[in-house]
Parts: sequence; structure tokens; C-alpha cells
Amino acid sequence: MSAAAAGTTAPALDVRGLTKTYRTGLFRRTGRAALKGLDLTVHPGEILGYLGPNGSGKTTTLKILMGLVFPDSGTATILGAGLRESRWRHRVGYLPEQPYFYDYLSAGEYLDYAGRLFGMTAAARRDRAGHLLELVGLRRSAGVPLRRFSKGMMQRVGIAQALINDPELVILDEPMSGLDPIGRRLVRDIILGLKGQGKTVLFSTHILSDAEALCDRVALLRGGELVRVGDLAGILGTDVSHMEILVAGLGREAVDRLAPALRATHALGERWRLEAGEESLGKIVKGVEEAGGRVLSIQPVRRSLEDYFIKEMGERTEDGWEREG
Amino acid sequence: MGAGRLARVWAVAANTFRETVRERVLYNLVFFAIIMTLAGLLMGQLSIRQDEKIIKDIGLASMELFGTLIAIFIGVGLVAKEIERRSLHPLLAKPLGRDEFFLGKFAGLSFTLLVNVLVMAAGLALTLAGTGRRVDPHLLKAIYPIYLGLLLVVALALLFSTLTSSALAAVFTVGMVVAGRFSDVVRNMREVAPGAPAWLVQLLYYALPNFRNFDFKDRVAYGDPVPLAAMGTVTAYAAVYAAVVLLIGMSTFRSRELS
Amino acid sequence: MLRWLLALVLVPLVPLLQKRIDAQLGAYRAQEEVLYLWSGQHVRRLVPGFEGLAADVYWLRTVQYYGGQRLFARDKKFELLLPLIEITTTLDPRLVIAYKYGATFLCESPPEGAGRCDLGIKVLEKGVAVMPENWRLRQDLGFFHFVFLRDPQRSAEILMEASKLPGAAFWLQNLAAMVLAKGGQRESSRAIWRQIHDQSDGPMKENALQHIEVLDAYDAADALQSLVQTVEQRTGRRPETLDELRSAGLIGRPPVDGSGAPFLYDRQSGTVRVAPQSKLWRPDL
Repeated sequence: MSAAAAGTTAPALDVRGLTKTYRTGLFRRTGRAALKGLDLTVHPGEILGYLGPNGSGKTTTLKILMGLVFPDSGTATILGAGLRESRWRHRVGYLPEQPYFYDYLSAGEYLDYAGRLFGMTAAARRDRAGHLLELVGLRRSAGVPLRRFSKGMMQRVGIAQALINDPELVILDEPMSGLDPIGRRLVRDIILGLKGQGKTVLFSTHILSDAEALCDRVALLRGGELVRVGDLAGILGTDVSHMEILVAGLGREAVDRLAPALRATHALGERWRLEAGEESLGKIVKGVEEAGGRVLSIQPVRRSLEDYFIKEMGERTEDGWEREG
Repeated sequence: MGAGRLARVWAVAANTFRETVRERVLYNLVFFAIIMTLAGLLMGQLSIRQDEKIIKDIGLASMELFGTLIAIFIGVGLVAKEIERRSLHPLLAKPLGRDEFFLGKFAGLSFTLLVNVLVMAAGLALTLAGTGRRVDPHLLKAIYPIYLGLLLVVALALLFSTLTSSALAAVFTVGMVVAGRFSDVVRNMREVAPGAPAWLVQLLYYALPNFRNFDFKDRVAYGDPVPLAAMGTVTAYAAVYAAVVLLIGMSTFRSRELS
Repeated sequence: MLRWLLALVLVPLVPLLQKRIDAQLGAYRAQEEVLYLWSGQHVRRLVPGFEGLAADVYWLRTVQYYGGQRLFARDKKFELLLPLIEITTTLDPRLVIAYKYGATFLCESPPEGAGRCDLGIKVLEKGVAVMPENWRLRQDLGFFHFVFLRDPQRSAEILMEASKLPGAAFWLQNLAAMVLAKGGQRESSRAIWRQIHDQSDGPMKENALQHIEVLDAYDAADALQSLVQTVEQRTGRRPETLDELRSAGLIGRPPVDGSGAPFLYDRQSGTVRVAPQSKLWRPDL
């Protein structure tokens, strides 16, 4: 039974003032501030997307939560228990970024080992492993040594081992990385499935379209600081950003004549894609028909997360922002 | 230790043993078998008493050498490699304490070495029997302390493994093991270096792991008595020294960040 | 924190246990394994570039072996002394002390040494061959011919050779002459042992001192005997016991030798000897 169903409103995850500076250099004098006083709350039963460019501190946050790295200051409670306690670990699943699992074991053996660490009985491990391998589409490769797995298959094993203990809270660091579109769809479905079971999911990504498709809320991190938290609608606004009009049968001069009312024009062979504000729509449609062209389609375009980032975060990052076509 | 803890340590230990088997560590036994066979065949020429001793010596020395190499070169990877390759990350997120992981690794490699030593002991006995010589049960009095020494090497390798990369840890462990084998030289260092301060020499002698304590090869080979009390003290030494090393290792591992 | 404390608590046990082990198993344990490599050449081939260090290690092992045999071995045969010296001097042919030490304790009779002076002489000869200009080695060779092999002829020859080497002590020639003079056995021995004592350290110095004490004891016995004769001449009768010499004011101290054992006085024959029970008694003096 999830915390939400039980009627409690205690957060699944509550982070206060988390700070971490990595010390480097010979005498540990140089510091790289990874997190600067992070406050974050994850509500039970929601999917929270943790977004930010590389180096913004997402992975550091998750590692601190899992006890792999130690914070300089700040606290966190996970499912009501403190960071240093171990009782929450039975109810949490974790997938690290770019995971590596023992390559001398098979997928089935690794899941069995993971299950043993949770104290699951042999029968429970067998059932659960079987179910999970089916879920991630690796049932046929259960006996294959992980040495022979591709990056995408490893990633799927990673998802499976994160769920071995049927956790209430699932924390995934870049779960889509290394996956082809089919794999991504699979993971998306799994995450939605988890939510359907009342579980809480926190995942970090830099694939914005995934975040848009899945998340109830997003938290945006930059330079170790939380820039914005909230639901997508609140961040992006429900307003339409502009209209996209696909037209055919217009010559160059006709388009140029319409240009003052347009925000942008794109030539697509025989057709044109015109962008215009909502208010100019009527004028343009009339102008196209008067010029002897045909309007093929009209699409409202909402502001995307990518637009938001590029505008609000104010910089283009090196790895760019992925947009699934 | 609670039942859950023990079960987890056992799980790690079992997996570590499985790893050494699958990574073909036990293939060293093949080399040992070859050496023993050659020794048995070649010794046919020499007189009876001499070659029995030589076979025993070769057998015991190989046991010690191979065991030490395994203890060092597998041992230093037990923690360091897991950190380098990041296979440790998903595991520590589970209810697996760092101490449990550490001790499980120690137990796993110790068990591998036990298997190694026992198989070699059987091989030695077979070689002796197969070439018509007596199988001396007193050999166990030399084999047991060899095993104790190996456990201490594993503990040292594990400690260095938590501190630094596997390559550097190997260097340090080898250094300590070699220094420990020469502890008698350290003790009497002032014969060749009279300038060395006595207190420093003493400190060094007691601080270094004295691997000569585990060397009963000659005593057993010459039939000298091995008092049980001495064996007990040697066991206590191994246990205490290993415990100190493991405790320090657990502490350093607990504060190690995995980035 | 707890682990550090626990470790700290256990640490003092380590030297305690080590001391116990050393006591139980003997600090100088048998080093027979060392002798798989019987020949110095073999060892040399195994340690290219580290011959000096290896020589030090073998030298230490030699000292340890000798000490261990003296303290702990049942029958002290010092069988490994020669091979250990041989290996040490092959690894470092200029380690003079190894030649001296080896020769000394090979020549000494049990229980101090192996009683194999033929081997001991060979060791010195090897040293002399490697370092012909080293007058001390040659001097020792000469000494040993006299005190151990009782060959004054050869001893004097070698001492003369040594005296001609650069840096040789000025008294070597005199010593050679003294050695040749008949009837000067004990005197020459004493002079030689005195030299060895002054030139040596450690066990060799102690060994030389022992020899000097033996000679002192025998000289003292002779002196007492002549005093007995003096008393006989003066008073016409031999003293009952040696203590009478004391009451007669002829000697100032009790008539015991350097080890504290009383001299043996045979009133019948008037002879004073070193008592056979004394540590300083020697069968051949």
C-alpha cells in the first residue's frame, strides 16, 4: 500500500540544505562546489523529474542519498528515516548512472544475488527475477553472462535490479541512457506502471521530452542550485506559444508579402511551414487563399521544456538538449 | 551479528568465491600439479631421504608462493576494482552495510585459498604416495601455519585495496609481505648498520607483520618438535594482527567516497 | 570510531605475542632453507644487481646461524657455517669480516666452533687470494697457522710476507721472529691473541679474550709453582696448601684462576696446575 493510499502526506523524500564540495588537488585545497544548499521534496505517488545539464549536481544528489558520497552539511529523510539509517533501504530501489554489474554472472544470477542482499527467500527471488526479466524484455537472455550484454541490455538489467525488492520509492539516474527508442518506450511504460501501482519515482535525465511525457513535477538544477520546482504546466504555462501553418502552392513572392505577419518561414520543398502568433492566424489564412495557396494544416505549439531551458537557463550546454523526434 | 547481517556477509562471500572460480583463479592448481609431477619424476635419481625432503619442500614452497600471489593480486582488487568499475554502487544502495561487504570479501577469498591449500595438500600427498614414499601427517603442522599467513596477506591486501587503486595496493602489499619475510634481517639490522637506533629497529620489527612466524617448513621437514603451545601462540598472533588490519580497513572503507 | 578504538586496543597484543613466539620457537631458528643454493655462484646469478644486499643478508644469516647453534642446537656441528661463509664471500668477495669470522669459528674446537681448521684456513686463503694487498688478512692467516695448526715455520713465513705489505704493522717482523724461537709457544700465542683481540669486535674479540684468559691461567699456575719452589728453598718444606703462600705474603690474592676456580696443587710433586674442572683448562697446554 503506498503512502498516498494510506492517506499520509509525509513526503517520500525530503532534502534540506544539502551541500557538497568535492575537494581535489594534491592537498585537497581546490574545491568544486557540486551542491549548494539543496532543498527538495518528493511527494509520495508522484513522478519527479530531476533535470539539469551535466555537472549540475544531479548525480551527486542521488549518490548522497544512497550513501555513496557524504554531504558537507544538510539533512535528508527517505521514507521518514534519516540518511544514515538502514531501514529505508528495504523499500527503495536505485539505478546508478552507467551501471556496471559483475560480468561473470548472468542476468538471472545477478538478480538472485541482489535479492539475497534483501533477505528474500530463494522462491521469492526466483519468482521476482523471472517477472522482472520478463518486464524488461530480457527473459531469453537470463542465462547469458553479463559480459556479453550490450549497453542497452545492461541498462535494462539495471532497471530490473532496482525493482527486485518491489520498492516503494524508485530512484533512477539517467534510466534512458544507452537505450534505443524501443528500450526507451519500455522504460517509460515501466515508470508509468510504477506510478499506477502507487509507487514514487524520482529520476534524473537530460532527455527533456521524456520528462515532459512522464513527470508530474520537475526540479531544475543548475550549478548545484535548484532553479525551479513545480509541475510542468505551471512552469511552461498552458498558453500556446505560436501556431504552425503548413501551406502549399505558394511562390516565394507570395510568402514574402505575408512575411510581416509571420514570425518565421521554413521552406520544405514545395511546401512552406509558417509560424505566426495566434492573433495573426485569420489574416494569414485569408492571405494564403487570396494568393492561391492551400492551407494543409494548422497546429498550436506550446512552449517546450527545451525552449524554457534555453530561455530561462540562459545558456546552451555542450551536450545540447535532446528532443525525441 | 544478527542473522540478517550474517546472511548478507555469507552472500558476499559466496559470490566472491564464485567470482574466483569463474575468473579461473583456481587454474593455478594446474601449474602446481605440473610442478609436483615433474618433481616426483625427476627425483628418482637421488637417494631416498634427500628427495623426499625436496618434494616436501617444493610442495610446501609452491603452496606458499601460489597462495601468496593469489592472496595479493586477487585481494587488492576486491575493493579497489569494485570502486573503479562502479559495480559497488548498486550494491551499497541495498541494505548491505560497508562492513558486511568488506568482511564478506575477506571470507570469500579466504575460502578460495582454503580450497587451494587443501587441494595442493592432497596433491602433495599424492605425489609422495605415488612415488613410493611415506605421506607424513606432520606436514599438516607446516600447512596450517602457511594458511594462517595467507589469511594475513589477504587482510593486508584488502586494507590497501580500500585506500588506493588496485595497482598501487599491489605494490604496497608486496612490499609489506617481502619486508615481513625478512623480519629476521630487520631484527638484526644493527649487525650491518650499527648506526640504526635500537628503538627504531625494535619498533620496525614488532610493527611489521612477521611472516617468519608462519614458517614451519624446516622444522617439519627435519622432524623437529612443534609444540602445540607455539602453534597456539602463532594462531593468536595471526588472529590479532589480522583483526587489527581488518578493523582499520573497515574504518577506511566506511569513510571512502565513491565518486 | 568504534573500530579504531578496537584496533587500538588489540595493537599492544601484537608485540606481546611476538615475544612469546620468539621465546617458544627460539629467536634464532634454523635457517636450513637458505642452503638450497649451496653454491655462491648460484646465488649470485639469482640476484643480479643486488649482490651487496644479498651479501648483507647472508652475512646476517651467518651470524644468526652461529649464535643460534651455540645457544640452541643439540649437537653443535656448525655444518652450515662454511657454505654460508662461502656464499657470503662469493656475493661480496671484499667482505673482510666474513673471512675472519668464518675462519675463526671454523677453526675453534667445539663447543665454540666447528673444529675444522683445514676449512677455516681455506677460507682465509680465499680472502688472501682475492685481496693480496690486505695485510690484516694475511696476518690472520699467519696467526691461525700458529695458534690452531701449531706450525710455527709456516706461520712465520706468512707473517714475514704480511710484514712486507704496504701499511703493515711494524711489529709483524718481531712477531715472526718470536714465533720461530723455540720454546716460546705460550708467549707467542699470547702476543698473537692480544693482537687479534685488539683488532677485532664482537664475538671474535670475546673469543680472543677467552684464549688470553686461558694463557693467563696457565702462566699464573706456573708462577705459583715457582713460588712454591721458592718457599721450599727458603723453609725446607713445601707448603700444605696454596693459601700458605698468601699468609706468607708472597701473593696478595686468593689462588684462583681467572674463572674463579682454585688451582690444583699436588704437594707430593710440588706442581701447580690449572684444575681440570676449571673452564680455563685446556687439554693441550
